[in-house]
Amino acid sequence: MARGWAIFSNQADRTVIHHDATPRRRSAWPARRDKRAILWWLLMLEAFRFILPGLGITVSVTLIALGLGLALGIVMGMCRAYGGMVLRSIAGVYSILVRSLPVVVIIFILFFVIAEMVDLSPFFSGAIALGVASGAYQCEIFRGAIHAVPNSQMVAARAIGMSRFKAATTIILPQAVRLALPAWANEVTLVLKDSSLVYVIGVPEIMRRAQYVSASTMEPFAAFGAAALMYLLLTLLAGRLLEKIEARMRLDI
Amino acid sequence: MHHPFIKQLARMSFMALLVIGLCTTAQADLLQQIKDSGKMTVGTSADYPPYESVDADGQFVGFDMDLIREIGKRMGVQVIIKDMGFDTLITALQAKKIDAVIAAMQYSPERDKKVDFSNVYRKISDAFLVKADSSIVLEKPADIAAYKVAAQTGTIQEKWMLTNLVDAGKMKKNQAFSYERVDNAAMDVAAGRVDVLFIQSDPAEKLAKKSGLKIALISKETIVAGQCIAIPEGEKALKAELDKLIAEMQADGSIQKITDKYGLK
Repeated sequence: MARGWAIFSNQADRTVIHHDATPRRRSAWPARRDKRAILWWLLMLEAFRFILPGLGITVSVTLIALGLGLALGIVMGMCRAYGGMVLRSIAGVYSILVRSLPVVVIIFILFFVIAEMVDLSPFFSGAIALGVASGAYQCEIFRGAIHAVPNSQMVAARAIGMSRFKAATTIILPQAVRLALPAWANEVTLVLKDSSLVYVIGVPEIMRRAQYVSASTMEPFAAFGAAALMYLLLTLLAGRLLEKIEARMRLDI
Repeated sequence: MHHPFIKQLARMSFMALLVIGLCTTAQADLLQQIKDSGKMTVGTSADYPPYESVDADGQFVGFDMDLIREIGKRMGVQVIIKDMGFDTLITALQAKKIDAVIAAMQYSPERDKKVDFSNVYRKISDAFLVKADSSIVLEKPADIAAYKVAAQTGTIQEKWMLTNLVDAGKMKKNQAFSYERVDNAAMDVAAGRVDVLFIQSDPAEKLAKKSGLKIALISKETIVAGQCIAIPEGEKALKAELDKLIAEMQADGSIQKITDKYGLK
């Protein structure tokens, strides 16, 4: 049987206030304003509980997008920095084109055009679209990091007989990745929030579930407040994790 | 046309067009496909109670959901609900990502150019909401021309206001406000930033109660058609089947039963 939004209905409203009005409670929570505050936090808790399954989807979409973006970003970044005419132009066109398109447009293109030919679920269409978008930004992050490694290292590697490709992948890239970490940590938070866009093709992540709550209960502050809290927690968690990694991999050139 | 590269390009684009053409024409009759697979995928935008919303367990509920499930039962197929943004629904239908759309969607000539519609399954009215303590009196829909009016983007109500009032010169352009969702619009009416909210009458009552608004006028004058199920263009057999089932359910009172269940009029 379908369960309604009990806590949001008028009946629950009255129950809570009645409960608060017992003498023991009255001394602890005398003001009317406080009762309303408790009710509001209860609403928020209920919204939080409902939105929670969306958290897993948001995290999965973000992780897939970040992984794909990382692969694309490193390859394209290397192409932009060390590629020949052809590779450099491909990477350049990719980076400029994708960065100039709104992410929603990329999601639509992938879901309505590409997924016509390959059977892709909305979840994967969304995750891959975000990955392609993030790849372009990560490409620029890695290109910058590669350029930050002094060119003398390339010259030295070539002098001891390494090929350009080997020097780029085994000498420059490991240092560049470490240098890219702070900017990359920033990209993580951006992708996390961009993941809310996949709702347009029907992926029930945090924001879409918050919209369900808001529409069903007409309590937008509780619904979106709960969603904001989740994003905050995720961002803080990711931030702490990346800070730790950054501290361990710190590099002074 | 003699340059080899251009020739190559022309040949490739011809091939691409051919492939796309084949993809779109090779489709068999959709009704047959639905019956063969035993599944009908129906798109909705579950943020519009009492027609479609999500309950505390994450199930799709509402008038439209009950109706389409009953239709599925009578067709002998399982109904799979796919939720997406309201503006995405028609595109998804055109791309055949879904077999039908039920989302309190009304027939309109513009939408009819892109998709087909079943017969009307529910006749509706429009409502005009004002702040609970407001002194605004509306005799007929056109009276809103004197006030700041909110409507939801992409709806028939917004279209009516823009065509019959703004384009007709009866209402100033900067008095018409479009909101992505009705709950946001209701908050702005309650806050006094706009005077009137123009929406369908069924969601209006709950919205009014929750947001501190009152209904100033209910009217059928602004209604073009009523709520219909949208299906891909040219699917005549599916339309015939849906029309038959809607007529059947109107005759045996099952639509009335769902109407009563959700306290609609």
